Amino acid sequence: MTTTTAAARPADASGYPGGGARVLSVARLHFVNRATVFTVPALILAAIFAVNLIIWAIIYNSVSPQDRGDVSEGLQWSGSTFYIFVYTFVIAVTAINVTFPFALGYGVTRKHFALGTAIALLGLAAVYSVALTVLASIEQVTNGWGFGGKMFTAIYFPANTWYEYLFVYFAYFALFFFTGAFFASVYSRWRIYGLLLSFLGLALVLIATLAIIGAANAWAELFTYLGSLAPLTFVAWSFVPTVIAALAAFAVIRRATPKG
Amino acid sequence: MTTVIEASGLTKRFGSMTAVDSATFSIEKNTITGLLGRNGAGKTTLMQLLTAQLFASSGSVEVLGASPVENARVLQQVCFIKESQKYPDDYHPRHVFESAPWFFPNWDADFAERLIADFRVPLRRRIKKLSRGQVSAVGVIVGLASRAPITFFDEPYLGLDAVARQVFYDRLLEDYAEHPRTVVLSTHLIDEVSNLLERVLVIDDGRIIVDEDAETLRGRATTVAGAAAAVERFTAGRDVLHTERLGGLATATVSALSVSDRELANEYGLELAPVSLQQLIVRLTTTEPAPSLVEAVPAGSEKRA
Repeated sequence: MTTTTAAARPADASGYPGGGARVLSVARLHFVNRATVFTVPALILAAIFAVNLIIWAIIYNSVSPQDRGDVSEGLQWSGSTFYIFVYTFVIAVTAINVTFPFALGYGVTRKHFALGTAIALLGLAAVYSVALTVLASIEQVTNGWGFGGKMFTAIYFPANTWYEYLFVYFAYFALFFFTGAFFASVYSRWRIYGLLLSFLGLALVLIATLAIIGAANAWAELFTYLGSLAPLTFVAWSFVPTVIAALAAFAVIRRATPKG
Repeated sequence: MTTVIEASGLTKRFGSMTAVDSATFSIEKNTITGLLGRNGAGKTTLMQLLTAQLFASSGSVEVLGASPVENARVLQQVCFIKESQKYPDDYHPRHVFESAPWFFPNWDADFAERLIADFRVPLRRRIKKLSRGQVSAVGVIVGLASRAPITFFDEPYLGLDAVARQVFYDRLLEDYAEHPRTVVLSTHLIDEVSNLLERVLVIDDGRIIVDEDAETLRGRATTVAGAAAAVERFTAGRDVLHTERLGGLATATVSALSVSDRELANEYGLELAPVSLQQLIVRLTTTEPAPSLVEAVPAGSEKRA
């Protein structure tokens, strides 16, 4: 139109932080309300732990001393910590569904949002893992809080030493965070139909895999193979879906738009 | 003057619905532009395209000389406050004011403090529990205190009372005088902001139908009032945007009058009054706008240098 556009080119961005700083600002944004990411999960955890402790105490006092070992054996099938993984899933979902449109208003690019969110989720996974590892270690040292109880050393966490626990917890948290991030990204971009289709697609892939294994008559071999894996190796394999979910979430959110 | 926003043939379709229809316009640096139009006319969609929240179906937009899409250099100089802004569920206003400075390097904390007091925003209460007006105030404060080189306000004051709106206009003008920047403001309360605006963009049904200097636009039409017969005689053969009759009296809105027209009106014993911006826009966007007036201010008209 006019010659003025040329003059607009050198829009001076000096004094503006670089990309790295923006990414870290996004990561911080997820922690600005500490209640959501720390206080609330800690309180719920404490409540569940208190209930467990009471139950353990009741069982402990109603069982003869020679049977207490068996009871402790049975208590390892505790799913009490499962909620915290569900909660991490929820955190990841809200981090994207609500914080994403909010961050766009702050002039954040989708790329910086995705990277900052990934850092925040990994940071949270690390903090949560350390917390649960500390509790698992206490549980080991105190022989189940004095009652043979098992919550943080339940059978689903195939570890013995503290660093094994740290590894297992971190792998689980990362898996829940990034699958949550993936589904939330799909929702952000394609809304409910996208979400339903992605569930359907995932189910089809799963069924197809099962069908292929069945057709190849490979079930026995597969179970032998899985059984031969060290538990920690098995857990380590969870990084494959975690990384796939993270990369897919990144690709999906790059073209997502806020609602309304 | 420097152009900071330039849209060319900008179009956004949602399925079969065209929300923004080949919008072509530009906005100069350090001006306050009003983006006016009816509900669903495409104001929010247009702003979302300018801030890269939405992707255009066709056409192009340049902000600060480049496409804003995924452009960190451009976007970090942009602040977009929209009426429908969602805040993270458990946020309190203090969380917003704590985090905003990380994203807006020009953030003025003292100014924010003053605005928080002006608008009486409670800092330690969940945003969900705030009144509609208080939620709007949170956005308005961020928009003002961020001092972003380009600030978009989309219906920023839904639910704000008259006092709070006046505070907003006053603070905006004061701060704009000291820290010039480009402001694009969409609103329904046209008369309230009419003195603030330097330029006016009117969008109707996705199309930019007016792109004009506010001053020039105000001069485009005049209201003629008097005896019905005299009004009728005067308006015969003229572009009449609107007429109203009450008994033997009538008023008519006609497009720009020349000096001799004015003298003639005086002879007929008619009273002349300027048409408010709001009246003018109501006339322009009510079903069939008078064709002659729209022709007089064509969409995307070339700016006078």
